[in-house]
Amino acid sequence: VTRLEATRLLVSALGSDQTTPIVASLGHPAYDLFAAGDRPANFYTWGSMGLASSIGLGLAMARPDRRVVVLDGDGSLLMNLGSLATIGWTRPKNLILVVWDNQSYATTGGQDTATAHGADLAATASGMGIRHSVTVRSELELKDAFTRALTQDGPWTIVARVDESPPSTKPPLDCVFIKNRFMAALA
Amino acid sequence: VTWAAGVCAGFAAAGITHVVYVPDNPLSHVLSALKAYPGIKTTLATREEEAFGIAAGLYLGGVQPAVMLQSSGLGNSLNAITSLIVPYQVPMLILISMRGDAGEWNSAQVPMGRAVRPILDSMGIPHTTVDSAAAVAATVELVARTAFDTRLSGACLLPRRLTAPRVVEEARP
Repeated sequence: VTRLEATRLLVSALGSDQTTPIVASLGHPAYDLFAAGDRPANFYTWGSMGLASSIGLGLAMARPDRRVVVLDGDGSLLMNLGSLATIGWTRPKNLILVVWDNQSYATTGGQDTATAHGADLAATASGMGIRHSVTVRSELELKDAFTRALTQDGPWTIVARVDESPPSTKPPLDCVFIKNRFMAALA
Repeated sequence: VTWAAGVCAGFAAAGITHVVYVPDNPLSHVLSALKAYPGIKTTLATREEEAFGIAAGLYLGGVQPAVMLQSSGLGNSLNAITSLIVPYQVPMLILISMRGDAGEWNSAQVPMGRAVRPILDSMGIPHTTVDSAAAVAATVELVARTAFDTRLSGACLLPRRLTAPRVVEEARP
């Protein structure tokens, strides 16, 4: 399954729900989220590599009434592994951290990440105390894990092995527009 | 500790309800004083950049946050500030416990301590240095209110002479 197909699967699993916030890491994860379905409750980052899971954690603590979905990349999460320790400590029940693991820094030209050489992000998340940490390798496994995460208390880390797909479109470039639209959707 | 109680009073007066921090010796006094404020939550981050990310998420969720860090940790935060906090106009109070200023004994703290203000200036982050314990509460409140009103994060700097007067005193020849 490609990252774009997997992103489409998650967006369609949310169905008509337009208010569950989705935070996307910069580059391809954000581009694919925009292509899979732009909605006001999407927060596209254009920088701050590594911080998508941290933004999601803050959001999950501020809004315990909502599920919070983060679409991170393996390279990005590797830049901020401490975030897993903080999530494992604070244990927000409503946080779903999805990590697109294509084993490469695809946005920067396809250099290998450490996950191509044995690093196991789900084991790391589990080791940091994140209650539900799984690796999924097919569309079926992803759908099953994500559906459970939407109903069972987390926090969840779903590391999804995905194939790289060329990014198609870019989200809006206006950061303040993205933020204002997102906050209005959550208000 | 008077100055630390003032920081907490300033937080409360500005409507700050969540503080994300990386610990530092002087800031431990703020954490102790915060026990008198059950309405203000705290979260410890592993690294300052992460703290800014968490605080940004809190703001997006409707909370008015503060980040507390030692001056040395400003260096760890620059990409978060310049590519998230500033361009998205995500406001927060940035409370910086200074090292490397007057009274410092550790030379490894001095270069960053000297660089804090020029770095904040070059990023366009306004900053105010608190001069006395009596001024802490009002200054913290004012800097925070200005940040939330203008959506431009602002920094409050706590110098060594305020947070560690005994160390400063002992450093005198």
